[in-house]
Amino acid sequence: MQPMINVENLTKRYAGITALDGVSFAVNRGEIVGFLGPNGAGKSTTMRILTGFIPASAGHVQVAGLDVFEDSLEVRRHIGYMPENNPLYVDMRVAEYLKFRAKIKGVPRGERRDRLEEVVKQCGLDEVINRIIGQLSKGFRQRVGLADALLAEPDLLILDEPTIGLDPVQIRQVRQLIKDLGKRHTILLSSHILTEVEMTCNRVIIINKGRILASDTPENLVKTFHAGGLINVEVRGPAIEVAAKLRAVADVAGVETTAGTDEFVRVAVEPQVGTDPREEIFKAVAASGWTLRELVRQRTSLEDIFVQVMREEDEAEEERRESKRGLR
Amino acid sequence: MRNMLALLRRELNAYFASVLGYIVIMFFLVVMGVTFAVVVGWLATGPKQVTAMIILFKMFWLPSLFIVPAITMRLLAEEKRAGTLEMLMTAPVTDFQVVFAKYLGAVMLYALMWGLTVFYVVILRHFAGASSALDLGPIASGYVGVLVIGQFLIALGLLASSLTKNQVAAALMSFASVFLLLIVTNWLSSLFQGGQLGRIVRAISAFEHMENFSRGILDVRPVVYYLSATAWALFTTTRIVESRKWR
Repeated sequence: MQPMINVENLTKRYAGITALDGVSFAVNRGEIVGFLGPNGAGKSTTMRILTGFIPASAGHVQVAGLDVFEDSLEVRRHIGYMPENNPLYVDMRVAEYLKFRAKIKGVPRGERRDRLEEVVKQCGLDEVINRIIGQLSKGFRQRVGLADALLAEPDLLILDEPTIGLDPVQIRQVRQLIKDLGKRHTILLSSHILTEVEMTCNRVIIINKGRILASDTPENLVKTFHAGGLINVEVRGPAIEVAAKLRAVADVAGVETTAGTDEFVRVAVEPQVGTDPREEIFKAVAASGWTLRELVRQRTSLEDIFVQVMREEDEAEEERRESKRGLR
Repeated sequence: MRNMLALLRRELNAYFASVLGYIVIMFFLVVMGVTFAVVVGWLATGPKQVTAMIILFKMFWLPSLFIVPAITMRLLAEEKRAGTLEMLMTAPVTDFQVVFAKYLGAVMLYALMWGLTVFYVVILRHFAGASSALDLGPIASGYVGVLVIGQFLIALGLLASSLTKNQVAAALMSFASVFLLLIVTNWLSSLFQGGQLGRIVRAISAFEHMENFSRGILDVRPVVYYLSATAWALFTTTRIVESRKWR
């Protein structure tokens, strides 16, 4: 099956700066993909190119099998887009705005009312339907933007920072909404909030300085990078012997002990990449006749990975720079 | 076509959703109403070579100077500033459709304003009596003139609005171009009375054109001139809106 989005070697140069540098990725139908990166990484630029607002400097971009530059109007019919900061006509009423958007998106006259009712229900806009958009709270405005994106029943939803500026309750609601929408639409959303992407997306693309650094499911990213995947062990026993014993366990890469306030020894065990030696640790402790009080694997969050990937990228760049300097 | 209508409706609604549309119309009616009253009062003092409507049509520069910037400054500058242009341009509509709808919306508001002055004709007709029946021909061609010149000024104002995110800057630019086109060319045509230069200046002078229109001379040349100038202005505006794509 042909992917919903297919991006090959996408490059975007503005006067003097390269916003995107040879980016390639694909999004399959039905996926919820999160674009993750610090501010200015190239997330919005990619989205603007996908929606045909600005063209690419080089590379191929296809949405639903259509070239976004050649078939721009047709591509736009497949996309529901919510730009960054969700710009809306603040002087219009919600119903009026959605009706206007439905018309310019070419929703047939006969279906317009049904579509309108449907998105109003989906996004919980019933109570504000006759209010002026400029007077709505940020949360409701965000929902108006989402409702607009959904109007023409697009195959693909592109949401740029959909939860920015919302309060925690609103963020939760919008996330839940996105999750629900993911059952029927392909979604590409961007965020610089890690937990958000971790919670809503089935795949994460980490992007920085116009380059893709990693692309995988949150779980796999955790597995591959396993940053900080330490195992905490608390044992009643002599510290030095415990450390030596644990170091000898298979798959253990390193051990660090800290004496506790009581007779228990706290040990942080670093396992080999991709392994889980907890069972072996238990056996080793039990065989020595010590008491085991705690044996926990620290949960790695996407945040750790993100930080790690960014650091690796920075180090790699530093090295490149240094090797260049060396050549001179 | 359907989305063209939707865009146009949105433009017209925008004038009346804010107070702008009402203020502009009120301003116009006050200016024209006072002018009309003064003109009629002056004409009542004795027989004159001109009619009330000729004077009124020749006063078109006064509202144009302020109203064209007022109704066009917002059009594209505000969309750019608020970012709503992105919403518009990622919907399945072309850049030209958006530009043309904005132009058409402003022209319709302008036509509506001038349409209200038909009341003056009704008043004149009522009080003129049967003996000096009002000649409707020059009045009709006067309206054609007002519309043909006005729509070009609006296209210029829209062009100014596409150049900036700042409404005030857009208003000043369109004020300057209307001033240049009406007042300065009028002054120049009085400066160069004869000769080749004088002919050129008079050919582009809106006052000269309006003089003819208001006297019932429906010349094709100025009509073609203004319509093609409008086509140029709208084309340029579309290219400027598109220019986000070349940067």
